[in-house]
Amino acid sequence: MGVTKEQVESTLTSKLNPSHLEVIDTSGGCGASFAIEIVSEQFEGKRLLERHRLVNAALEEEMKQIHALSIKKAVTPEQWKQQQESEKSNPAA
Amino acid sequence: MARSLSSLIIKGVAGYPAAHSSRIPTNKVESSGLSLKEIVEQDVKENPVMLYMKGVPEFPQCGFSSLAVRVLSHYNVPISARNILEDPELKSAVKAFSHWPTFPQIFIKGEFIGGSDIILNMHQNGELKEKLKDLSANQKSE
Repeated sequence: MGVTKEQVESTLTSKLNPSHLEVIDTSGGCGASFAIEIVSEQFEGKRLLERHRLVNAALEEEMKQIHALSIKKAVTPEQWKQQQESEKSNPAA
Repeated sequence: MARSLSSLIIKGVAGYPAAHSSRIPTNKVESSGLSLKEIVEQDVKENPVMLYMKGVPEFPQCGFSSLAVRVLSHYNVPISARNILEDPELKSAVKAFSHWPTFPQIFIKGEFIGGSDIILNMHQNGELKEKLKDLSANQKSE
């Protein structure tokens, strides 16, 4: 039952063409809840609410079976680059 | 000292100041003669911070709803909430109203804000403070 991590990944990849995507099954493999980090050019110029709406809409079918979807990050490639760089410049020494 | 410590602990467990939350009983929905859509419209219009959640603020029945309550409780604003677990029809009406598939759902001053990820993000980047500024100010002056 539920949805697999691979299904979520393939749907998001085909609909939002992400340059980075991480999907974690937070239900211990049951496919009932997922946490997502996604980087896509389609988020450009959109508020966080609208970005989440894009992800929700892409996963409309899957959402019928997913109990909880946590979108940890929905950023543009530009924002992603900045975040990666600021993490690098602050190494946890 | 001991007393203030214990009150802190109680506050920590409850997660928010009890005096600032109001739970709208769901049975009001049935007796008011309004359609569910009208109820939702009225809720978000009349309640500056309106939360549709699983459980009640004092006892959320889902980690995400609990997170939303905890975040909002930082701001000393009145929180109104309805428990969508008590009323599947209300749940559908809220989803249709906001075009949003999951709960909790947060409305501030009539505007749909989003779910728990968004409210947490806005809390972290300072947007939420800005949005609730006038509400928490009113609260203090009363």
